[in-house]
Amino acid sequence: MHQPLIEVQDLHYTYMRGTPLETTALRGVCFTVRAGEVVGVIGPTGSGKSTLLQHLNGLLRPQRGSVHVLGQDLADPRVDLREVRRRVALLFQNPEDQVFERYVADDVAFGPLNLGLSREEVRARVRRAMEAAGLSPSFENRLTFALSAGERRRVALAGVLALEPEVLVLDEPLAGLDPRGRRELLALLQEWHRRERRAVVWASHSMEELAGLADRVYVLAEGRVVLEGPTRQVFAQSDVLARWGLEAPIVPQVLGELARAGLPVRSDVLTLEEALPVLEEVLR
Amino acid sequence: MSDFEVLRFLSFGRYLPTGSVLHRLDPRVRLTGAVLFILALMLCSHPATALLGLGLALVLLVAARIPPGYALRGLRPLLPLFAFVLALQILFYPHAAAIAAGSIEVWRWGPFLISAAGLLDAAAISIRMVAIVLFLTLLTGIADTTDLVHAVEGMLRPFQRLHLPAHELALVTALTMRFIPLLGQELERLMKAQAARGADLGHGRGNFFARIRRMLPLFIPLFLAALRRAEELALAMEARGYVGGRGRTYLVRLQMRPADFLALALVLGLAALLVFLDRGGVVYGLTFRL
Repeated sequence: MHQPLIEVQDLHYTYMRGTPLETTALRGVCFTVRAGEVVGVIGPTGSGKSTLLQHLNGLLRPQRGSVHVLGQDLADPRVDLREVRRRVALLFQNPEDQVFERYVADDVAFGPLNLGLSREEVRARVRRAMEAAGLSPSFENRLTFALSAGERRRVALAGVLALEPEVLVLDEPLAGLDPRGRRELLALLQEWHRRERRAVVWASHSMEELAGLADRVYVLAEGRVVLEGPTRQVFAQSDVLARWGLEAPIVPQVLGELARAGLPVRSDVLTLEEALPVLEEVLR
Repeated sequence: MSDFEVLRFLSFGRYLPTGSVLHRLDPRVRLTGAVLFILALMLCSHPATALLGLGLALVLLVAARIPPGYALRGLRPLLPLFAFVLALQILFYPHAAAIAAGSIEVWRWGPFLISAAGLLDAAAISIRMVAIVLFLTLLTGIADTTDLVHAVEGMLRPFQRLHLPAHELALVTALTMRFIPLLGQELERLMKAQAARGADLGHGRGNFFARIRRMLPLFIPLFLAALRRAEELALAMEARGYVGGRGRTYLVRLQMRPADFLALALVLGLAALLVFLDRGGVVYGLTFRL
């Protein structure tokens, strides 16, 4: 087994520490990411998802516990955080609000330019990243302010992919998009993962979204990991999930109900495609 | 490490719902009280009375259950401003005249003089600035924006006959204050997003100009965010049928209770005492006449 890319141990974090307004976001979280896998992070609003993700590239430093990223201890003040942030790229929630250049290509080039690459290399990266984010070259000279929110989100995604990171961290990448926008972006991200084989950390509050996607899932609630494991095992425990206000995806829920009604079905089934043969079996 | 917690050091402008006695006063009393104390402090020119005012601010902070350490930390971002004012004050004080009037000469270099009276004056000014900021911290700590709006509106309402738009003025006050923390949060978000893409942000390295240059790409999205928020807010208000103050009724009717009158009398008394001590006699009696 490889050394994990990211290893978080007993992480605690309190916002506004030392003020009357301090709020604790993380209370002892352990978290690992291994090469090539898709790790889902799920939890209700305020469970600490975003706080955890911001530790993975050193935007936040551990207050207690440790964060090791690509063999470096992020608590060590000598670590070059810019290097870490290049190798672990983070796409924030509602990233379309953070596009700031006038032209699309300039915004995508912001990351590579900060890396001090040659002009040709920057150009090549911008082209590749835009293609991966589903933006045709005709977008290069479009004004960012004239784009739709969905298109701006893809520009923001391209800006992160242009860093060519080893780990891609996504904070609610599909939130706030219409169904078609969600499907398209999901397909683009899956395609990127298939092609690059890089690890992805994907936070969401929707299990439906993670069901056909994540290899492993962490369920966060009130700053703690309350469940973790391979996706199907975690999602089969709909009673535990319900206790934390999370609704299991519809397929395992229905199968769970059928199992409770005494029918011989497995409940560790995630997607509709997988459910079909199981249901046919029962009907037979 | 809290590289990006822009708001952590901003303690004034933050409401702290500790539920103290001061929080329960009529909002008009809370506002008037803070304003009166600040006015009194502005009239105080002697270091001893300024110190008294500072002590008063600290006592009231404790009474409001706001940790004084927290309030004092809020001064940190203002230190450069304080230093600048202090330098100007010492530079432009009429030292020669003070020395001629009997003050001690502390330092002399060629034609440049510094008198003890000038230094004392500068000390008084810095103490007053600190005390005033503490009173502002106290006010925003014990009165949230809703309270302040009620107070401003309640006190301006009598002037409506003179066509003063009391309600609108109160609303402008409220929105301004509401936007400060929002912009702070927005800035933090933007800094993080750019740092995540390799921007050199989140530390104080480099000289002043290098730091300004790094901040430039933040301003466009920050302004856009502010404009967007303002637009959304205007829409939301219209959607709820907002038409300004005309014909509006109020959920909260301000009613002064005996405790409020008592507090107001106390504030008036203390503020007057502060100015009296400064102007009149007693403190000057103990003065080090320099």
